[in-house]
Amino acid sequence: MADYHEFIEKMGSKIKVEIRKKRRLYFQVKNEDILEVVDYLFNKMECRLSTATATETYHGIEALYHFSDDNTGNYYCPRVVMKDKENPEMNSITPMIQGAEWIEREMAEWWGIKFIGHPRPIPLLSRNHPEDLNKPMRCRR
Amino acid sequence: MKIKSNLKEISNKNQIPVGPFHPLLEEAEYFNLTVDGETVVDIDMDTGWMHRGHEFISEQKSFTQSIYLVERICGICSTSHPLAFVHALEDVGNIEIPLRARYIRTLVGELERIHSHLLWVGLAGHFIGYDTVWMWAWKYREPVLQMFEIISGNRNHYGMMRVGGVGKDVDPASIPELNKILDTLVKKMNMIAKIVNDDPVLRSRLIGVGVLTKKDAIDYCAVGPTSRASGVRGDVRKDEPIDAYDLVDFDEIITKNGDVYDKFVVRVLETIESIKICRQCLNKLKEIKGPFFNNVKEISAGEGIGRYEAPRGEVFHYVRTDGTNRVVRHKVRAPSFNNIPTFQASCKGIPIADALITLAGVDPCYCCTERAIRVSDKHNKNKKIDLLKLSRDKTLYIRRNA
Repeated sequence: MADYHEFIEKMGSKIKVEIRKKRRLYFQVKNEDILEVVDYLFNKMECRLSTATATETYHGIEALYHFSDDNTGNYYCPRVVMKDKENPEMNSITPMIQGAEWIEREMAEWWGIKFIGHPRPIPLLSRNHPEDLNKPMRCRR
Repeated sequence: MKIKSNLKEISNKNQIPVGPFHPLLEEAEYFNLTVDGETVVDIDMDTGWMHRGHEFISEQKSFTQSIYLVERICGICSTSHPLAFVHALEDVGNIEIPLRARYIRTLVGELERIHSHLLWVGLAGHFIGYDTVWMWAWKYREPVLQMFEIISGNRNHYGMMRVGGVGKDVDPASIPELNKILDTLVKKMNMIAKIVNDDPVLRSRLIGVGVLTKKDAIDYCAVGPTSRASGVRGDVRKDEPIDAYDLVDFDEIITKNGDVYDKFVVRVLETIESIKICRQCLNKLKEIKGPFFNNVKEISAGEGIGRYEAPRGEVFHYVRTDGTNRVVRHKVRAPSFNNIPTFQASCKGIPIADALITLAGVDPCYCCTERAIRVSDKHNKNKKIDLLKLSRDKTLYIRRNA
């Protein structure tokens, strides 16, 4: 918990804590602040990007990143909510973290999120698919 | 002159397609190697050939049905996925499981690691022309599958995991037999470890091949033996010791060179550590009485992360629940998803003969379908290149000239 406290204090108003429990911290971040928060997690705290999860909710399209602090076993999960469901876009973290390339390509392909600044914005799973899959994970329910 | 120079550059570079169906890949995946002469200068990867939509299907199923579904994501890691999934659901509901179930989960998970690493050791031996290692490793893997059969009734897809515990108890009467199998196995693993350590040809063939530096392992967020062989510490069993991992004694194996030899060493030594863990679990299961399952009536609405150190690295499951008996969002990330992109770093600059073992070094999944490849040379003539033969020929060359 002490680690969370330091992180929360350092980030200040840039994050809005949603769920705080043993070894898990979920918080919301605005798109304009995501690079700064990720920079702190990856470069300062030396967390590892485990993966990211995109979800469609009533509020918009969410991109939830999962950063693992392997020294403590804690997970830090910054969430960016894109309210424009038609044209969701956010800053790409791939220029900072090479390991995010596939993760963001997959989210872009399945959920239609445009990652600004992604160095290789081509489909991951349907590169040679004969049909345009058109955001297959959206509007399923 | 410039045009001529560019033409020369183009004509000297050839494309070597590997896959999408190839003996080194369990699941279909396509690698396009760009080679300049004998050297790999670039690699492009194309995935998605075997996409089965597990996340989507899981969201249509109840929790218990989804356990069986995720068990079938991978035939080798058929404990890791369901275990990570139930960890995620238990994380949502803050569910505790009985002590006996913790030991059983750990036992089954470690047995899976042993058989998966032995599978890889055998295949790696085959790729570099050590067919005896291949046959031995797979021979010694067989008793591990027998142990699974004794414990769960199945050699694969054990159906052991449940939210709140495990589905089957370990029969105390079978423990002496299980211990006896481990006695045999540890002797054989020590023998394989000695071979890895002592054989000069094996060392010459694998040391310095397909190096993934520590920086690259961190940048690509690699996991499991792939990152630990590059000197990056990180093992879910140590970082977040759930189940019985905080109750057993074992070492996290880390080496520093990042080459295929170190990946070999990490896997062999991890197998020996896993046998150590299995012994401790079996001894505890003789003593501990009590239930192996807590009947969980409902999972509240919320978000949960579950993970487990699979043989290839961290398996990650994220679930979002709404209070019903199914997940509304289920994210699955297998370790190979993080490890395969590291080929961009480890394959560049290596000879073609080393490409096969480097690609196999991160232990992507394998299948038995072989595909011949054709390469156009600078005279536009097709020539057939067999990567497996190239790799084995190189070992033969070292053996004869050592």
